[in-house]
Amino acid sequence: MGAIDRLGVGIGWRAEIDLTVERLPDVDFVEVVAENLHVEHLPESILLLRERGVPVLPHAVSLSLGSADPVDAHRVEHLGSVAEALGAPLVSDHVCFVRAGGLDSGHLMPVPRTRDALDVLVANVRTAQANLPVPLALENIAALLEWPDGELTEGQFLADLVERTDCFLLIDVANLHANARNLGTDPNRFLDEIPLERLAYVHVAGGVENDGVYHDTHAHAVLPEVLDLLGELRSRVDPPGVLLERDDNYPSDTELAGEMAAIRAVLAGRG
Amino acid sequence: MTDGARERLARAQAELLTALLAGGPSPGGFDERLLRVEARSLLAKRRGIVAMLAPEAVDALADRFRPLFDEYALAHPRVAGSRAREDAAAFTAWARDRGALPPVKPKRWWRRTAS
Repeated sequence: MGAIDRLGVGIGWRAEIDLTVERLPDVDFVEVVAENLHVEHLPESILLLRERGVPVLPHAVSLSLGSADPVDAHRVEHLGSVAEALGAPLVSDHVCFVRAGGLDSGHLMPVPRTRDALDVLVANVRTAQANLPVPLALENIAALLEWPDGELTEGQFLADLVERTDCFLLIDVANLHANARNLGTDPNRFLDEIPLERLAYVHVAGGVENDGVYHDTHAHAVLPEVLDLLGELRSRVDPPGVLLERDDNYPSDTELAGEMAAIRAVLAGRG
Repeated sequence: MTDGARERLARAQAELLTALLAGGPSPGGFDERLLRVEARSLLAKRRGIVAMLAPEAVDALADRFRPLFDEYALAHPRVAGSRAREDAAAFTAWARDRGALPPVKPKRWWRRTAS
């Protein structure tokens, strides 16, 4: 499988900031939450961006590929049909589970870093890949807790996953910061252990620290520590793309443009 | 992969979600403080989504929204495959049933709706 074409610097498209995304300068690509789209009724703003030639990448949050439950064929099919409707070069979801025992957590939950859990994840990812029209990239999540009896570091776990499924990686440096802050993950070791040649793109997002816990809110400004981690990553590899995620408490266009400029500065070594 | 791996993982994941979402016993080996942080965070996210989808219930309940929602949520964890709108509707129905929200007035057929 080949490498990912250069994507550049982008921003997460959300209905609330559709006009902002359209008029921000230098948006090289956008990402859409696949579950929010209906192939028959794509938002006009998305169609406009496609007409301009801006790549639109579907990002899924509900495949729950780390679940012990079998893969939900309908969700995979929907993601694939969104990718085809948008002419997307790849799709993504997370290394996580959201459903178990008939319950839905409502948020991305970490999987145990055991051989058992890795075997299940690999089988699920292969099933999804076999039913998707384009390559799949998988993202590291921000976890608030850690399973006991982990047999692998997060970096080793992702490296094995890539090795066995040939998936791409979507590395979220804000999540990496969250895990370093909350769980003591060593971000440099993480970056050393993952196969950076399989990097599809990078997520950057804001968050806030409350009572000693960093929350990956996507509703606050990007912290300097997160940009530092982007710099660490950049010192190892030139990522095909970097995307800013903002999901709530939307700031002015100027502020978002400023965050994208800060990302560009880090990528150019001026961070 | 062995079926055993999937079964063991299924049990462990179900146990964790039951603890976090439905007040089930803490699964062994986890940091109790982090379990509480995670449970609170999941509850806050769910509460925020319902608040966004049912602003009239939030207005009507004012200070009572949060404790009532948290009580509802613990007794009614989100079921796999359910939608956020269904969650919001179920919460307002639950609050109505216990008299916290006024009952829905049945529409009278002779009432002029366009005013």
